Amino acid sequence: MNDALGIINFEGRNVHIAGMDEFRPVPAISFLGRYRIVDFMVSNMTNSGIENIKVMIKDNPRSLIEHMRTGTQYNINSKRGQMQILYSDTHEDSSIYHHDVNAMLQNMQAFEEASEDYVVIAPSYMIYILDIRKVLAQHVGSGADVTVVYHPTAHLNSYIGCQCVDISDTGRVTGIREIRGQSTANNKVMLECYVLARPLFIKLVQEASALSSLYDFKDYLSAMSDVLNIRGFMYEGYVGCLNSFNAYYRINMEMIDHERAKNLFHSDWPIYTMTNDSAPAFYTKEAHVKNCLIANGCQIQGDLENCILGRGVKIGRGCIIRNALILPKTSIGDFTHIEYAVVDKHVVMEHKKEVIGTVRKIAYIKRRDRC
Amino acid sequence: MRTEMLAMILAGGRGTRLQDLTNKVAKPAVYYGGKYRIIDFPLSNCANSDIHTVGVLTQYESVLLSSYVSHDSTWGLDGRNSGVFVLSPREKDTGFGLYRGTADAITQNIDFIDQYQPEYVLILSGDHIYKMDYAKMLDYHKANKADATIAVLEVPLDEARRFGIMNVDDADRIVEFEEKPANPKSNLASMGIYIFNYKLLRRALLADARKEKSSHDFGKDVIPTMLKANRRLFAYRFHGYWKDVGTIDSLWQANMDLLDPANGLDMTDPSWKIYTEDIPTTPQFIGPRAKIKRALINQGCVVDGTVENSVLFRDVTVKRGAKVNDAVIMPQVVIEEGAEVRNCIVAENMRIPRGAVIGVRDKVTLISRKAQVMKHE
Repeated sequence: MNDALGIINFEGRNVHIAGMDEFRPVPAISFLGRYRIVDFMVSNMTNSGIENIKVMIKDNPRSLIEHMRTGTQYNINSKRGQMQILYSDTHEDSSIYHHDVNAMLQNMQAFEEASEDYVVIAPSYMIYILDIRKVLAQHVGSGADVTVVYHPTAHLNSYIGCQCVDISDTGRVTGIREIRGQSTANNKVMLECYVLARPLFIKLVQEASALSSLYDFKDYLSAMSDVLNIRGFMYEGYVGCLNSFNAYYRINMEMIDHERAKNLFHSDWPIYTMTNDSAPAFYTKEAHVKNCLIANGCQIQGDLENCILGRGVKIGRGCIIRNALILPKTSIGDFTHIEYAVVDKHVVMEHKKEVIGTVRKIAYIKRRDRC
Repeated sequence: MRTEMLAMILAGGRGTRLQDLTNKVAKPAVYYGGKYRIIDFPLSNCANSDIHTVGVLTQYESVLLSSYVSHDSTWGLDGRNSGVFVLSPREKDTGFGLYRGTADAITQNIDFIDQYQPEYVLILSGDHIYKMDYAKMLDYHKANKADATIAVLEVPLDEARRFGIMNVDDADRIVEFEEKPANPKSNLASMGIYIFNYKLLRRALLADARKEKSSHDFGKDVIPTMLKANRRLFAYRFHGYWKDVGTIDSLWQANMDLLDPANGLDMTDPSWKIYTEDIPTTPQFIGPRAKIKRALINQGCVVDGTVENSVLFRDVTVKRGAKVNDAVIMPQVVIEEGAEVRNCIVAENMRIPRGAVIGVRDKVTLISRKAQVMKHE
């Protein structure tokens, strides 16, 4: 067990998975058919020996609470460890006040009463595999006040609204600045994952709020970058930044390729999720399936290429489905033609026989729709 | 704390005819259906029938089975008044108490049952595949004011001689029980599922334990003695899928049955799920060269070859150009490029080498050792 408290932060206003995040918070959105987005960062934490985890929820808490339960599925010991959902509400009229610092202040008791020396804070919308023990070790060894995890990349346009860090020759973070679409090589994207001592964390949250009612945590870190000893931890592996509907679609689809999916799935690094106790997927004799990612409980009669099927999806006879992401428990009636689409959960598509999006404009069928 | 009905699952059987599959594993822990172990069926049936306390009687190679069933949260049997309790033979002041028969296994655990003061005890077998609502059977038992109720299956008369056969009157009251009769008088086969009034069962078991000539078996001893004493024993007719997989052939066939959507064992029914161990795996990756027809495939599989009429357990890899036909492939098997597997059960963790051709047309082969694979190359 590590001497660190894990905090799954909620995402900032730079993240908007249009359509889908109206129904649930981003961490609870289905990913790769059988996971929720939050599973990856929670698994990083538990695989790194962190057993006391606070999950901050911004709004629509129901689906995330349902999914997280007590956290035993993530390998959290039910007596020594704890998974706690921290819900907060803004009593202000404007959602602009509803940021992470506000939520942390409202739940300060949970952080004050923890016994761990350190906190690890990370949002869940950035999907990657990180051994947090290495970050902690570097943090303790370097004597930094705060260690931030960054990712060198040439593809800044995947990180619009995120921040880059400037790092001096000695490894110190000298500046944190917002990305506005400029794409130069060797940018260092901040993954919003921070390690710091718990008392300092509490102090920074209080200071941030005192300084500006609109500051979120990364704003304050940015403002303090010349006062605090902030150091960078370089993470070079794969990062999927689920900051928009298009990114959500693209990153899901990229993982159909098994070689690429190995970036997220290592044999010694299980990604835990809630079991649904569904039977193995059943392919009938009419099924035609190529290049797909299929979850358990599916019943497939149709013709599928480049698709992801969530748990318990039913695909009727004579369907032709290409480049589509079908979320759990959705049922597609016979002879339906779907291309370039995201069909959300619990949809029953019986009457409409054609949903055609394009590469540029992915169609979206909303949750629980009857069509 | 009182429990209305407690279940005791007999799970000590070896299943010798399952060959290498039961070398180190008792038969109830044998894999079935792409995802399950056989004992998941009676355990899930208990959970779904509102039975909260289950004793599992293990004996033969019990280490894996005992550790498997002791995770009672797998079946949702982890509430405050619930539990799955492993009951293995124990050392007593009279010596080491190996279970001498199905009835003796229960007799030796009367102290366990007494703790719960149950009204009824449900005796089950740990190695049968079926879905059954035991609560309905209990209702039937109560309505008949029965002393014991035995679930029966109507089997073809020519197969009846393989089973324990119940001869009944017009009200389905059992008048005679014949173990594997040469000339069966009825086609009602015992499924090895019994509900007893516990007070009566307790007395019957203690009396049977004192009999030197008894084989201490429910079918051979306890039930016939109760019938002789004119007890009210009723047959409870079960309609649905039920299988006792005793051989490699029948295990293979039972897996193949799942490929027929009308198999009667609707595994997709959300109201009667079969629960099993939750092992973290990825979704299944179906590659660009895959061809899949009539198959049941579990999570974690990576398929880029051909899979037809087959059942694949978790984390099976079927590489490019490999062909799997009419086969049951157990967890973590790797079928290398161009290998062909047909009419086989492949045991877990096997690797079928590149280009190997495994299995014959007319007979189901169990592939469980490296040597077997190599000689076909």
